[in-house]
Amino acid sequence: MKRQKRFEELEKRPVHLDGFVKEWPEEGFVALEGPNDPKPSIKIENGVVTELDSKQRDEFDLIDMYIADHGIDKSRAVEVMNTDSYKLANMLCDPNVPREDIIPLTTAMTPAKAVDVISKLNFVEMMMATQKMRPRRTPATQAHVTNLKDNPVQIAADAADAALRGFPEQETTTAVGRYAPFNAISIMIGAQTGRPGVLTQCSVEEALELSLGMRGFTAYAETISVYGTEQVFTDGDDTPWSKGFLASCYASRGLKMRFTSGSGSEVMMGYAEGKSMLYLEARCIYITKASGVQGLQNGGVSCIGIPGSVPSGIRSVLGENLICMMLDLECASANDQAFSHSDMRRTERLLGQFLAGTDYVSSGYSSVPNEDNMFAGSNTDAMDYDDYYVMQRDLKINGGIVPVKEEDVIKVRNKAAKALQTVFEALGLPKITDEEVEAATYANTSRDMPERNMVEDMKAAQDMMNRGITGLDIVKGLYNGGFRDVAQAVLSLLQQRIAGDFLQTSAIFDKDWNVISAVNDKNDYEGPGTGYRVSGETWEKIKDIPMAIDPSDF
Amino acid sequence: MSEMEDLVAKVMADMQNSATKSTDAPVNAGSTTPTASATTDGKELGRDDYPLFSKHPDMIKSPTGKSVTDITLENVVNDKITADDLRITPATLKAQGQIAKSAGRTAIQGNFDRASELTAIPDKRLLEMYGSLRPYRSTKQELLDMADELEQQYNAKICATWVREAAKNYELRKKLKGDN
Repeated sequence: MKRQKRFEELEKRPVHLDGFVKEWPEEGFVALEGPNDPKPSIKIENGVVTELDSKQRDEFDLIDMYIADHGIDKSRAVEVMNTDSYKLANMLCDPNVPREDIIPLTTAMTPAKAVDVISKLNFVEMMMATQKMRPRRTPATQAHVTNLKDNPVQIAADAADAALRGFPEQETTTAVGRYAPFNAISIMIGAQTGRPGVLTQCSVEEALELSLGMRGFTAYAETISVYGTEQVFTDGDDTPWSKGFLASCYASRGLKMRFTSGSGSEVMMGYAEGKSMLYLEARCIYITKASGVQGLQNGGVSCIGIPGSVPSGIRSVLGENLICMMLDLECASANDQAFSHSDMRRTERLLGQFLAGTDYVSSGYSSVPNEDNMFAGSNTDAMDYDDYYVMQRDLKINGGIVPVKEEDVIKVRNKAAKALQTVFEALGLPKITDEEVEAATYANTSRDMPERNMVEDMKAAQDMMNRGITGLDIVKGLYNGGFRDVAQAVLSLLQQRIAGDFLQTSAIFDKDWNVISAVNDKNDYEGPGTGYRVSGETWEKIKDIPMAIDPSDF
Repeated sequence: MSEMEDLVAKVMADMQNSATKSTDAPVNAGSTTPTASATTDGKELGRDDYPLFSKHPDMIKSPTGKSVTDITLENVVNDKITADDLRITPATLKAQGQIAKSAGRTAIQGNFDRASELTAIPDKRLLEMYGSLRPYRSTKQELLDMADELEQQYNAKICATWVREAAKNYELRKKLKGDN
């Protein structure tokens, strides 16, 4: 065929590098309203759920059983199941119906009913519902802080940088697993230097992650994965009961935690049972509720390429965030994995959560350029900061971060690198040189950092664990090295574990360690003039982008 | 690279072992009253009592009996604070559970009730118990024995019920040792 020139040019556009798949329901390649999805139903006899979404109790798998026995408020279940889904969908996006009136209904639905309700909403209606249904009134976002070489000095500097920009939660992971203890303490020290009150985590294998928390190296955990089919759950090496137990383990040590799930994971792992992605994801959200966990990271997450490839997939992903909020769970709404080559499409992916506001718009936003992002790159990275700031300013949206001055960033990066240098010295860890401190202060990526002896670092990280070093040793090291304010911040973080206030739904801290959660900052949106509005000091900061010309200069 | 691989294997193995070495002994078993509710005048706490840290600092004690206000930099530097002073107690978890319930979240209260029982279990044993609940790790009898241990040794009745329920369902759905 002779090519038409416009088609030839269009094929060179970045969006042509993305993967798109036509629906294939038998293999789970369908976002929602799959032909094999079960019809919503419930039967309760003598207080026991004997039928759930067209399945009898003797046919229940582990997930059905767990949800039936722990995940549904039975007191209003029959009433809700008999209510028309259009009516419920209407209540969700109607500003005149307060959140607290709907939660008793949405927490009494079955997974298939929740999916049926969501399927009635178009994208804008989902955003209207999200604005009202997120548990915390004030929106926020979460950062990724990683680098290709697990350079601890760079992690500390980048964590301080991200903290100054306003991320109240920060997550690291490793390029090489054995670095985990170093990454955990580096992000903690850096973040507390940048802004006291930031919560930090280190995403690694479940048992190791918990043990880092027990030592006082992390404050919360998020990558506790749950799945929507029994086979994939088992392949993930857990059961609903083991994950529920793990949730209680975290709370028993005063550590915040949320689960992780995302549509597409069952397709990716090959056992979607021919069900739609949203239906399987709904099961994950109900497992989270059933476990008594305060929150969930969901919205495709690392599998976003799968829902992103099918029709209505990105709409469905906002729908799964919304089900999370309908179950009164903290929602960290993904926007984390890089999934599109097209800048327009990356923005499209972000818009639903960004405009409506969620507990964490991204989970997370890469605070480093994507080449250093060890979660395989994020939808937005450090190179997008200025675009993001302008979007917030143009639309008067609090997307969770604020513009910063270059001199202020240089200052906190340098201080964080020096604080870590002091702690490494106090704990007898491999020396951090002044050259490394200087490089980390001004670095953009790990290519700007001097090489470290990684074998020596890994040995030392191991040795630090053997010696039983805890968060208290870090506090002492900081104090004795002259970083009294950072020492106080790390100690305050440890102290908060005793009180447990940040175990409540959607909890973050401000710089003075005041907890902000769905208990004392509950979403009270009821239309114009209510709910969260960008105002005061936050709006002054969002407005004040360094790129803006000051008319008084003329 | 074999030296590297050996090192990796050792580091991983040791990390798993050492992570809990310093706290092998039961920290607060018996030193607190796991079933007692933290209440003001015997009344259940509500969302207006939140946050505990600023509204009821007097109620927050470490498992060793220290007050939350004793956790100062000076005391840390003078070695008057240990890692055990920085743990949450069953009473505080119960109090947070009441606050969660008052805010409409009874499922969270259930989780905190289980957690309050688990505070008594040493880190190392707790990690092992989690491992035993993973699929194909335990026979039904091993799970039932673990439930008995929870109940008898740690007075963890809710968690014992949890593990027995898991055992029953693992048997039905073939997730016990040898089923794979």
